[in-house]
Amino acid sequence: MKWIPLWMHRLSSPPTFYRFATVMRPWFMALAVILTAVGLYGGLVTAPADYQQGDAFRIIYIHVPSAEMSLFVYGVMAAAGFIAVVWRLKLAESVAMQSAPIGAAFTFITLVTGSLWGYPTWGTWWTWDARLTSELVLLFLYLGVIGLYHAFEDRRQGARAASFLVLVGVINLPIVHYSVKWWNTLHQGTTVRLFGASKIEGDMLWPLLVMMGAVHLYWAASLCGRVRTDLLSLESGKQWVRDLAQREGR
Amino acid sequence: MRPGSLSAACAAVLRRDLLLAWRRRGDIALPVLYALIVTTLFPFALGPNDDLLARVAGGVVLVTVLLAMLLAFDALFRPDLEDGSLEQLMLAPQPLALMLGMKILAHWLSTALPLIVIAPMLASMLHLPAHANAVLILALLVATPLLSLLGAVLVALTAGTRRSGMLLALMLLPLCVPVVIFAAGAVSAAQQGLPWIAPIAWLGAALALLLILAPLACAAALRIAVDA
Repeated sequence: MKWIPLWMHRLSSPPTFYRFATVMRPWFMALAVILTAVGLYGGLVTAPADYQQGDAFRIIYIHVPSAEMSLFVYGVMAAAGFIAVVWRLKLAESVAMQSAPIGAAFTFITLVTGSLWGYPTWGTWWTWDARLTSELVLLFLYLGVIGLYHAFEDRRQGARAASFLVLVGVINLPIVHYSVKWWNTLHQGTTVRLFGASKIEGDMLWPLLVMMGAVHLYWAASLCGRVRTDLLSLESGKQWVRDLAQREGR
Repeated sequence: MRPGSLSAACAAVLRRDLLLAWRRRGDIALPVLYALIVTTLFPFALGPNDDLLARVAGGVVLVTVLLAMLLAFDALFRPDLEDGSLEQLMLAPQPLALMLGMKILAHWLSTALPLIVIAPMLASMLHLPAHANAVLILALLVATPLLSLLGAVLVALTAGTRRSGMLLALMLLPLCVPVVIFAAGAVSAAQQGLPWIAPIAWLGAALALLLILAPLACAAALRIAVDA
């Protein structure tokens, strides 16, 4: 099993990761597109309409995968940010900073689809429910990370500072979540989520799982693409980029 | 106190920062004026309905104090960074976290304390009842050090950047949601005649934790943001 740490170690060097990302990105993207097509077909066509919400529930196939991704991407960003702050790996800095816009996009999609879903079912676009509010705070946190990264002239320094902010956010997010929950239950405890993930019919469940796979693959493809271009501009003075540019330029 | 010892260094940093703040007394008055003006705007915006104003008074004063503190945060490290004394502090043999803790304390004394002094007046302008006013002061006494400590970490992160005002707001405001929730919760509980000690105790627990962690985090953040 020694090859795993060795492989990880090699992969953390920018030229190796660049080659890896170049090879993997089309595969990730193709699989993501196929799974999205299958999942959307299953969700929008074959799954039966909900007995209570009718067809309105079908937005779950966008909403839940994005909501899951908004947290998953933050987790990845925090892990990469920790490596960036402690070991100052260039690749980890790049992964952490390039994750932020993707995570922000997923969080934004979650909020928009959530309010589109909320209007026909709850009768309101927005309510100060615990989950909604913490998701909004998560979006602000993502935007803060992106803003801090771009405020520095030196990009690596900006990446390290923003990674530190990500780590502060990791400690604070659970506190925000629970305080918001506590605050909400003090004032109004009547807003109920209409159904839990476990109480869902098999015909409705499999497209959801397929869509979750699809968003993870899309995220992998998107991250590969973003990190590739970021590494090129970060390492623009290095020999491997020069070689690459000469080969591609011909 | 032996010169060069830890306690002497702490006292020197505290004394220097307080002296600097005192020499620029006008800067101390600005956040207070800001809070006064913002609070005055609320009755204009909401209408001079006493019941409505009394209901929102606690929250309005808390948010106003938070925003006034946010405005003053820029002065925490920037002048020292510009004249180079912050680098000297970072090179000093004394632990940086402790020195920064003293700076945060001086900053709290010079910006948050005047705001706490004026807060009961702001709350009475909005007709907050007297017993809730006492809880408000208590909540502010626990919540403002929390905000100072939390803010100091983020200010340290933005220390090396050019434009930091709006950025700091974007970074700080999501993170201080719990502080606002608990402080405002205590005031509104007192207003409704409910027990209000639990949220204050939560704030106190958070303050005990941050008193230890925040200066350390602040030192780490400053080292990232200042040394290139």
